[in-house]
Amino acid sequence: MVNLTPYALLFTVAAIGVSETSYLIRARRAASGFACPIGQDCAVVLTSKYNHFLPFVHNDILGLIFYLVFTALAALFVLGIGQPTELMLLAEVILAGATLMSAIFTYLQWRVIKAWCFWCLMSAGTVVLLDLIMLKINFTI
Amino acid sequence: MKPAPLQIIRIGLAITFLWASILIFHDPKSWGGLIQPWAFDLLPLSLETVMIQTAILDLLIGFFLLIDVGTIIFAWLALVHLILIIIVVGITPETVRDIGLIAAALALVWAWWPKRFKKQ
Repeated sequence: MVNLTPYALLFTVAAIGVSETSYLIRARRAASGFACPIGQDCAVVLTSKYNHFLPFVHNDILGLIFYLVFTALAALFVLGIGQPTELMLLAEVILAGATLMSAIFTYLQWRVIKAWCFWCLMSAGTVVLLDLIMLKINFTI
Repeated sequence: MKPAPLQIIRIGLAITFLWASILIFHDPKSWGGLIQPWAFDLLPLSLETVMIQTAILDLLIGFFLLIDVGTIIFAWLALVHLILIIIVVGITPETVRDIGLIAAALALVWAWWPKRFKKQ
């Protein structure tokens, strides 16, 4: 029987990412300002010119799409829908992209914008957690 | 934005519902086996169909709680759903978990209750 624990963790961590990015999208669209649980520089980073990696597509939307796809992939693993090796490859490819993006955004906060955003760091931490769980799954298989 | 502790409860409850829905989709018959015989006799459809519908409801509750859209409606649905689970499954050692989830759902209903309906 398949050990569901790592997939439950992947699902949980990715779902937290969905929640976080959906909050950021709503706060941006409502122009209500961003709650910044730690520090005060969230708005500085989130309204900077680096807030969209692709033209006309904000980073929060890209993040939401990534987390939704990843949550769905974790669910598909558990449900046994699709080829596990293909699902795993897809998960690894999109996670590699997300890791690269997170590294770039963390660098931008540190060296270019010179301000830290709680939500961006939380998202980067979420991606690192996903990386660790995926490593664990790969070493176990 | 509601206080952080309430957001944590909302996200935690959402993930619980989402994961429960995945597990029910994975094995609807086993989950249906938890239903008491008297409740089983009242089912209008086959057990598997009812469990799949339950999984869809759980998925919707979990998703909308997660993205904080219609939270008051879905917190209500979560509360009623959890109470119904206790009724149809009966009191078991696992009921203690459901009591915690009911308390969480009740906290969300309370916190997201529209201000115009609250006594000043």
